[in-house]
Amino acid sequence: MVALIKWNEEGGHVKLGLPSDLDLPMAQPLVDSLRHAFTVGDVIEILADSVERVSTACIQALLVASRTAAESRQTFAIVAPSVPFVEACSDLGLASWLNQWRRS
Amino acid sequence: MEDLQQFKQTYFDESGEFLAVAEAGLLRLAPGNVDLDEVNAIFRAVHSIKGGGGAFGFSELVAFAHEFETVMDGVRSCTIAVTDALVNTLIRANDILAQLLAHARDGTKPELGFADPVVVALRHHAQTAADAVQESPAPSTPVTNLPETVSRVVTVRFQPKADLLMTGNDPTFMLRALTHLGAAEIECDVGGLPTLAHLEPELLYLQWLVTLTTDASLVDIQDVFEFVSDDSLVEITEHSADGASPTASPSETDEAAGGAVTPNSPGGLAPATRTEATVATVAGAASPSQLALYEASAPALAAGDSKAAAGKSSTAGDGAHLNLGGHTIRVDLDKIDRLVNMVGEMVITQAMVAEHVRDLPPGQFQELLEGLEQLAQHTRELRESVMSIRAQPVSSVFSRMPRLVRELSSETGKDVVLITAGENTEVDKTVVENLVDPLTHMIRNSIDHGLEKPDDREAVGKPRTGTVHLSAQHRSGRIVIEVADDGRGIDRPKVLQTAIKRGLVQPGINLSDEEIDNLIFVPGFSTADKISNISGRGVGMDVVRRNVSNLGGRIGVYSAPGQGSRFVLSLPLTLAVLDGMVISVGLERFVLPLTNIVESLRPKATDLHGLVNRCDVMMARGEYVRLVYLHQLFGIPDAIVDATKGLVVLVETEDGGRLGLVVDEVLGQQQVVIKSLESNYRRLDGVAAATILGDGRVALILDVAGLQEMSQHARSPASRSVADAAIQLPAL
Repeated sequence: MVALIKWNEEGGHVKLGLPSDLDLPMAQPLVDSLRHAFTVGDVIEILADSVERVSTACIQALLVASRTAAESRQTFAIVAPSVPFVEACSDLGLASWLNQWRRS
Repeated sequence: MEDLQQFKQTYFDESGEFLAVAEAGLLRLAPGNVDLDEVNAIFRAVHSIKGGGGAFGFSELVAFAHEFETVMDGVRSCTIAVTDALVNTLIRANDILAQLLAHARDGTKPELGFADPVVVALRHHAQTAADAVQESPAPSTPVTNLPETVSRVVTVRFQPKADLLMTGNDPTFMLRALTHLGAAEIECDVGGLPTLAHLEPELLYLQWLVTLTTDASLVDIQDVFEFVSDDSLVEITEHSADGASPTASPSETDEAAGGAVTPNSPGGLAPATRTEATVATVAGAASPSQLALYEASAPALAAGDSKAAAGKSSTAGDGAHLNLGGHTIRVDLDKIDRLVNMVGEMVITQAMVAEHVRDLPPGQFQELLEGLEQLAQHTRELRESVMSIRAQPVSSVFSRMPRLVRELSSETGKDVVLITAGENTEVDKTVVENLVDPLTHMIRNSIDHGLEKPDDREAVGKPRTGTVHLSAQHRSGRIVIEVADDGRGIDRPKVLQTAIKRGLVQPGINLSDEEIDNLIFVPGFSTADKISNISGRGVGMDVVRRNVSNLGGRIGVYSAPGQGSRFVLSLPLTLAVLDGMVISVGLERFVLPLTNIVESLRPKATDLHGLVNRCDVMMARGEYVRLVYLHQLFGIPDAIVDATKGLVVLVETEDGGRLGLVVDEVLGQQQVVIKSLESNYRRLDGVAAATILGDGRVALILDVAGLQEMSQHARSPASRSVADAAIQLPAL
């Protein structure tokens, strides 16, 4: 089954629903989605509640996205990150970063 | 991800070997018999499993292996005394590790807390040793290699190459593994991140600095990065707990001397200085990376180097580890099986071509014939080479038996010593795999039924300790495995009584010793007075015989009252092809395994003698040989019934006896591809398998021992059914 990033955009409010398996091949689609989101939206929300497995590449992409948001003063949030997502961030030493950008 | 799967598979394969190394070593470990080389081998085996598990994120496995390894570390440094209880715990720990590996391989979750009892036991042993160390006064003699009980602070700089992710590795694996070694403070350097527009998603821009408070050795830490040695720059610096000057890992001393950060040098990163270093966080993204300290040309403390360092500090255990490289490759068994199948088809094709050229006019097409002769020779060599790829020493099965004997000895209260011989005898992998159950049951049978209790043995003048011999050898193109014990032997009166009671034989029947012994193979037979976990459920030896028979093998038992019993298992070396002699009986073709054939001859009438029970014998080479008329056994019409007009093929049976098979003609020698009759049709008495001849006809491969049995009941319904079936065989 192909994992898809769910795209939802209403009035400059973009929601990206992450698939359960965010492995390395998902990094490119995720980056493409993020790039597009920053061009069309002021508010970008990443819905991470379904993530069961996540690669460093995808977390890295979200990391870059958060920096982009900070620099461009766009709103960025990682919503309801799943336990595996939180654990992966913690393993990578990015717990504080996630806490900074997460929203329950 | 496919690469990752491949690495995982290799890890599981290697772990299986490590488990076997550990188990073999543990079974030899005993109070007063501590071989430090072997202890080191066990330690390294567990350690290697843990290291690989950490890289793949098998956290439960790693956590358990750590407990196991801690105790082994205590054993190798002589701080934990080897006791029977400890050895039992370690053996159980090895089992748990095997189960955790199986769960990791299958992607399943182990039952919650299933390893807890063993963990508790391991910790108990470790704690007991630690208490003993604390309570004891200063030792009168210095003890070397004491484990470091004081945690140290180690910093690990981990700078993966940008393309690390594309090798199937993920830093999460290594960083998570570090957290299993102690308290880890992980800081991520994001200074190298590009903008979103310039981000290459599959490249890695992150680096890490980990401060680890741990009692793990530097080798343990280095091993975490074993799989990324070529794709990362890793530097490990050790600091004492009180913040004193950093000390170097052996590897660093050797390898990083020319690098930017040299252990023991002022440039070394002590904890105090580490806090001064600026490690960028997301909030402070603009900070320059402290990791710029690394220079591109700085020699890495790569895992490959760390392996070298580990090699310096360890001994025999590395032997098994290092054997995995070098001159061997791992090949998927399916690939070999496909190769075997193709060689089998090639053998058939070659036979077909040979069949056709036989009709060519003599003296012509000489070059073609020579070429075909060479082709036949090459085909034979190819077949042997392919078969040798599948061949494995039986040691992989034999090595499991000491454990079994140990457990049975404990359960039955009998002292048993197992002596093995011929472990390096090679046989086809499939045969090896199918040996486990029969051998297990035969050894169980020997210990449970055969050997007496120590007091009983003493009473009859035997040593208190019973002996079970397990041996393997090649004989007549087959592998013969024997399980012999020096116990009481088969209790024939009891066996006969039981058989009569169960209606297996008629009361008053006169059976030979051999026939009584063989009653133990009758389905449902058991003489055990009570059902035990070991044997006595009556589902044993008959199943063993059936399984052995399914492999084209035979099993026999030889017993002497008061002296012991001997089970003899005979199996083919390969299940794929065999060298056979094609014979004809009437219009039927049969194949006799070449290894059974002694000679063929046409007897004179004076050589033949009839016995009153219709059994004919022939005088051959000074001894009488029983004649077996194949046309009678298989009900074949139009066959030559007079042995003086046909041929007698002398064949040798497993027990060394001889039979004379009366046939019409011997057509010639041929390599045949074995096709299972059981899987294509059903099992037939006197028939081992079937094959396809060069002319496309199906021929049955005869089972000489089966023929011997059949000939003793020549008019039995079974032989009639064989005859019927032989004619109705389906296409294979």
